[in-house]
Amino acid sequence: MPTFHLDGQPVEFEPGEKVLSAALRAGVEVPHYCFHPGLSVVATCRMCLVDVVDMGNGRPMPKLQTSCSMDAVEGMKIETKNAKVLESREDVMEFLLINHPLDCPICDQSGECVLQDYSFDHGTGKSEMEYAKRVYGWRDIGTFVALERNRCIHCTRCDRFTREVTGTNEFGMFNRGHELTVDTYADRPMTNKFQGNMADLCPVGAITDKEFRFKRRVWRLKKTPSICTGCSTGCNMTIEYDKNEVFRLKPRENQAVNRWWMCDEGRLSYRVMNEREQRVMKPLGRVQGELQPISFEQAYQAIAERITALNPGAGGALVLSDTNASNEALFMLRKLAQDGLGAEQVFCPMPDWQQPDSDFFIDSLITTDKTPNRAGARELGLSGVADSTELDSALEANPKVVVILGNPFAEAAELREKLGKAQLIVVIGTLLNGWTEVADVVLPGRLHSEQDATFTNKQRRVQRTHVAVQAPRQTRPEWQILADLLAALGKGAGLDSADAVLQALAQEVPAFADLSLDGLTGAGALLPGEASDPGRSVVDTRTASA
Amino acid sequence: MLEETLVLFRNIRNPNYDKSLKGYKNAGGFMALKKALEMQPDEIVQLTKDSGLRGRGGAGFPTGLKWSFMAKGTGKPTYLVCNADESEPGTCKDRELMLHDPHQFLEGMMIGCLAIGCRHGYIYVRGEYWPSIKSLNAAVQELYDDGILGEKLMGTGPKLDLTVHTGAGAYICGEETALLDSIEGKRGHPRVKPPFPAVSGFNACPTTVNNVETLTCLPFIVNEGAEAFKAFGPENNAGTHLISLSGHVNTPGVYEVRLDANLKDIIYDLGGGIPDGKKLKGVIPGGASSSVLTADEVDVTYSFDALAQAGTMMGSAAIMVFDEDTDAVKLLHRIVRFFSHESCGQCTPCREGTHWARMIIRDFMDGNGNERKLKRLHRVGGNMMGTTVCALGDACGMPIQSFTTKFADEFREVQALAA
Repeated sequence: MPTFHLDGQPVEFEPGEKVLSAALRAGVEVPHYCFHPGLSVVATCRMCLVDVVDMGNGRPMPKLQTSCSMDAVEGMKIETKNAKVLESREDVMEFLLINHPLDCPICDQSGECVLQDYSFDHGTGKSEMEYAKRVYGWRDIGTFVALERNRCIHCTRCDRFTREVTGTNEFGMFNRGHELTVDTYADRPMTNKFQGNMADLCPVGAITDKEFRFKRRVWRLKKTPSICTGCSTGCNMTIEYDKNEVFRLKPRENQAVNRWWMCDEGRLSYRVMNEREQRVMKPLGRVQGELQPISFEQAYQAIAERITALNPGAGGALVLSDTNASNEALFMLRKLAQDGLGAEQVFCPMPDWQQPDSDFFIDSLITTDKTPNRAGARELGLSGVADSTELDSALEANPKVVVILGNPFAEAAELREKLGKAQLIVVIGTLLNGWTEVADVVLPGRLHSEQDATFTNKQRRVQRTHVAVQAPRQTRPEWQILADLLAALGKGAGLDSADAVLQALAQEVPAFADLSLDGLTGAGALLPGEASDPGRSVVDTRTASA
Repeated sequence: MLEETLVLFRNIRNPNYDKSLKGYKNAGGFMALKKALEMQPDEIVQLTKDSGLRGRGGAGFPTGLKWSFMAKGTGKPTYLVCNADESEPGTCKDRELMLHDPHQFLEGMMIGCLAIGCRHGYIYVRGEYWPSIKSLNAAVQELYDDGILGEKLMGTGPKLDLTVHTGAGAYICGEETALLDSIEGKRGHPRVKPPFPAVSGFNACPTTVNNVETLTCLPFIVNEGAEAFKAFGPENNAGTHLISLSGHVNTPGVYEVRLDANLKDIIYDLGGGIPDGKKLKGVIPGGASSSVLTADEVDVTYSFDALAQAGTMMGSAAIMVFDEDTDAVKLLHRIVRFFSHESCGQCTPCREGTHWARMIIRDFMDGNGNERKLKRLHRVGGNMMGTTVCALGDACGMPIQSFTTKFADEFREVQALAA
């Protein structure tokens, strides 16, 4: 690869790459505001100015150059820390701060504010501005983000985002010169489904997340990488939490999945992570018609005794799951069905879903399949059914034992009524729902923010979550509950960790071969072979909107 | 006694000249276009290069060279866009050409289109120039009616269309890339260069942007040859130049001069001297964005190179003269107020700096100036220069730096008065 020299250090670059991107990739910090890899280059903040002492032909550039817009050239010599550059940074910082309100103590961006960081690193700490600062009126631009224009440094990232990434164009720059400002067009509220990204893009506190505002100082937040389970895209994200309470979800760059972005719906899914009212906090058993708290051991023992007594066999047991469960849980459920209950199949709902397609990549992030692991269930050979009426033939055998993972066929009250006649209904899940109402035993599982688990997204890419917050004490990961049940039935396989389950899965399902939890880093692992999902259809959102 | 050299103004200075198509043809018009149609595009480019024609918009870049930078073999259409957004304070030369002799300019535009293979030229006229816009539109209509423009240029050539596009009153849209944005229907914001318009300009196609006066020189060059054009003016400053003379002179106006005229002669001979016999205080030689020259410095040849040596620039050749009673602080305030109002606001130094400088000068006018503020003003001006996408930062910084250096005493006097 060709190289150029940055402060004397050789830096490799791809042909056509800009100096700033190559520098950032090589780990050299060149301060910048308006540059973002996902947006076009405007080179207007003037913070990334560098001194080109040799253009690669022995001659220097007379003026400082913006590194974000300059093509790297073989043999180029660039200085980013000489007196000329440092002075220019001081000047730009001074210009940016003369009209900034400096309200860091009440600003949510404080602590992750680029303006703040660069003020410390590159500013002088002094200003001779002695006139009234520019003040804009407060504007409400919609439900998801708040706009505080006085803090704006006019980097236009938000403007370019709505123009180039979402294509919705509802946000832009108004007025000119000193009065330049950002706003929505014609006083309308923001309409796109990705507004949260504007808060991420904003280097200062001009655009902040309404959901997060005034809740927690950002330096208190702890961060754990995870993935979003709001739909089958599986956007990479970071769970940010403090004192076991999740405050926000931020997208994590993964070029193969979500690039830098995440939808607002996904961001709001943090709420369920803090849910306590509807959460199943401990195992429940039906005693004289009422669900009462019991211990896991009591539950396992009772279930094992009933199953042994009923001896369901083929047709006598019905196992249902939804596709929200992790690969590990689905694998263990399949094992329980086959080894423990003698059921041939595990049924799960797989209605048809649509994959949007448009000129704008970001539109493809929101699929109509709101479960994270449909592809995983297909790989494991679970029986997908479009709706509950397809279960009728299985119901004809009048199953005696019903095991339900999660909340499949949530809307099918009729199915629930029919299954209510079974002698034993075991529900494993995290939230109270229609199934827990008819259950004989409810076993509390864990959310993806509380366990190490893997999910297979729509591309058949296996990605993992990490334990971020601590789950309620009397809950267990689903795979563990299922392994315990198998053990109680005398069919235990000694699988005692999520990784052990994944490796057992990898041995049984060839597509997952060689996968391990620790090995799933970076972009995740794309399963070999062709994806085929007959329920998938591509919808051209261009025609839909035109 | 300095006199005008009439090349571009030869028709305009004729009191009986009829500016219609018929009148222009009678005055020998469209001979050059006929000649150009028989030439290869490369020949026209080479001829223009040989003539030494330099852009009249402000930067003085050699026109032929600019054309030769056009990206070739891209498979995209090429465009010639004429920059008629004449908005540099003090400049009014293009207005005269468009208003009083539109066909000469349009003939030049058509020759330019032939040179770069453009099939649809755009003329971006400053929005405030209503009479010029009307005159141009009428002239273009005449050309279509006569069959000169349209499917076949002059009946034999390639297809050529011309569109007159009006601006909406923004100084920044005179910057070539902002102008292109504006024609495309976007906010007029200067673009980052590279890519230059010659590679990716109007609608991302190879584009050349030329000034009205530059294009108007072409009929003469094609008719009379490169040497004849070169004969006007000294080495490297070929051709006559239209200057817009304004301010404290007895006979302000647009004059056509050779580029070896002396600035002092321009003021005292063409301009008729300063009214009421007052003394000269200073001259802004090339539009508001050029550095000011004091009375002691005006004995200089008015050419691109000589002015550059004197530490200023010819710019759009707008000479603004001011007499001894002029308040330099107030004058600078007016200039900076203009740039502060016209800054597009995208680059930090220009957006914040122009306004800040204006506030500081306001302080001096209110009697609140001091030595520290004078230094600060000078520094703000300097920090804007060379640090922005387009030249507006420099355009505002140059007058600030020159005024605060050359008229520093006046800034101090103002504050002494207040004390």
